[in-house]
Amino acid sequence: MAIDLNLLINAVVAGLLLGGFYAAVSVGITISFGMLDIANIAQPAFILMGSYAAYLINRSLHLDPILIGVVMTPVFYVLGMAVYRLYYHSFERHGDQSIQGLAFFFGLLFVGEVSLVLIFGVDYRFVEASYIGPSLKFGILDLPLRMLIPCVISLLAIGLLQFFLSHSFLGRAILAVSQDGPALQLMAANPTRIKQAAFGISIATSSLAGAFLIIIQPVEPSIGRDYIGRIFAICVLGGMTSLPGMIVASIILGVVESITATFYGPSWAPAVSFGFLLVALAWRPAGLMGR
Amino acid sequence: MANSLALTGVNAGYGRVRVLENVSVSVAHAETVALLGTNGNGKSTLMKCIMGMLRPASGSIVAEIDGARHDLVGRTTEEIVDLGIALVPEGRRLFPKLTVEENLLLGAFRRSARALITRNLDSAYATFPVLRERRRQLAGSMSGGEQQMLALARALMSEPRILLIDEPSVGLAPILVSRTIDKIKELKERFELTVLMAEQNFNQAVRIADRGYVIVHGHIAFEGHNTDELNNNELVRKFYLGL
Repeated sequence: MAIDLNLLINAVVAGLLLGGFYAAVSVGITISFGMLDIANIAQPAFILMGSYAAYLINRSLHLDPILIGVVMTPVFYVLGMAVYRLYYHSFERHGDQSIQGLAFFFGLLFVGEVSLVLIFGVDYRFVEASYIGPSLKFGILDLPLRMLIPCVISLLAIGLLQFFLSHSFLGRAILAVSQDGPALQLMAANPTRIKQAAFGISIATSSLAGAFLIIIQPVEPSIGRDYIGRIFAICVLGGMTSLPGMIVASIILGVVESITATFYGPSWAPAVSFGFLLVALAWRPAGLMGR
Repeated sequence: MANSLALTGVNAGYGRVRVLENVSVSVAHAETVALLGTNGNGKSTLMKCIMGMLRPASGSIVAEIDGARHDLVGRTTEEIVDLGIALVPEGRRLFPKLTVEENLLLGAFRRSARALITRNLDSAYATFPVLRERRRQLAGSMSGGEQQMLALARALMSEPRILLIDEPSVGLAPILVSRTIDKIKELKERFELTVLMAEQNFNQAVRIADRGYVIVHGHIAFEGHNTDELNNNELVRKFYLGL
């Protein structure tokens, strides 16, 4: 089969943009699962809550969905801290987190999804913004703004987060807390509070990620399931604790999926990306940028 | 201003297992006191009681820091570190997947140490040049001796007045043990620290201690008011050295 060069270039570029979006979706799980050892499989439910928050406010107040995502971040931060408190008092404090904690987040995923179904129904919902629709064209290149803008803002926001993690006391404590919590107490830090703040941040990221999701495509409550496997795969491939690694993994997965979808059909995309994950982990078991 | 530590009649243990029985230990201002004993006699348990990691069943633990008295029993570890007491724990407990510099910076998490972080980091690198060379290296990838230096330097980043050191010699080659012990003496003098050091290497610990206690099965078996009393005592030879 001869490969059309125009098609290939456009597939790669679309994959890069998709990767930027995947990074926004995966940053939360990289913090909770990668850095804190909390297997929060309910993360997609929180992302969808972000989408529906953007939908509601966009419909009623006609605000820009990305602006809504930014403004709602503190609300999701507080929600995340509350979920962590519940998780800590119910499981982590007694050392029951590995299996029961997983069941807890699994339950949360379904409760979140069903609540969204009850409130919004199963119809697809979408937002309105001036950049949904138009594209930038450079010769043969076609850059849809609804992909480009989330990608750019996502990378900027993750850059800010990375700066915070490596340059603030709280950030460094977040990187240390899963390595040795009791030793962190000897540094005058309370590991439970550090984890609570970090989990709050991980949920806060789903506000913006949810806004991006509903800009890129119309959403319905069960669409979050498509992302469960993908975000864990990106976190593991990136090296668990590394945000730069997570970005590289997102972009690789985005490009691989986009090329596969363009040339072999979208149904092959998940198989190829998980195949890629297995090969990559065989080659580098610690992930791309694992420490 | 004076910094001192006094444990009086401390009883402590894990569940029904009694580890410390009626232990009284004191460290006066700017003293180096050695807590001597072989494995399993309660040295680390005593350190844990001071740091609030284990609550004693009875007895009092009082610290005087910059002239102010603080009752330590019932406080959390974070609060005790915040007062100005630092522990270099047994096994060092570094963050293995953070760099040397990240470990040091975390040492300054204590609120009152944050403002002095630049000065203290420079001083840590001046005291331990090898840490400056390896600042971008992961702590877990360093040798045991280097890790012990990092653990000491990290504890000092919190600006402590009282420094507790649990078994600094464990797992180190003999040449590194004596170097580590010398370094502790140097740091103690430079920063006017009050030091309590648990150690099973009797000869090395006595080299820098002003005085010491011998702990056997959770009791203070012998108190030496100076190093001569420790060195030339029949009881010490019997209990400690097994001679």
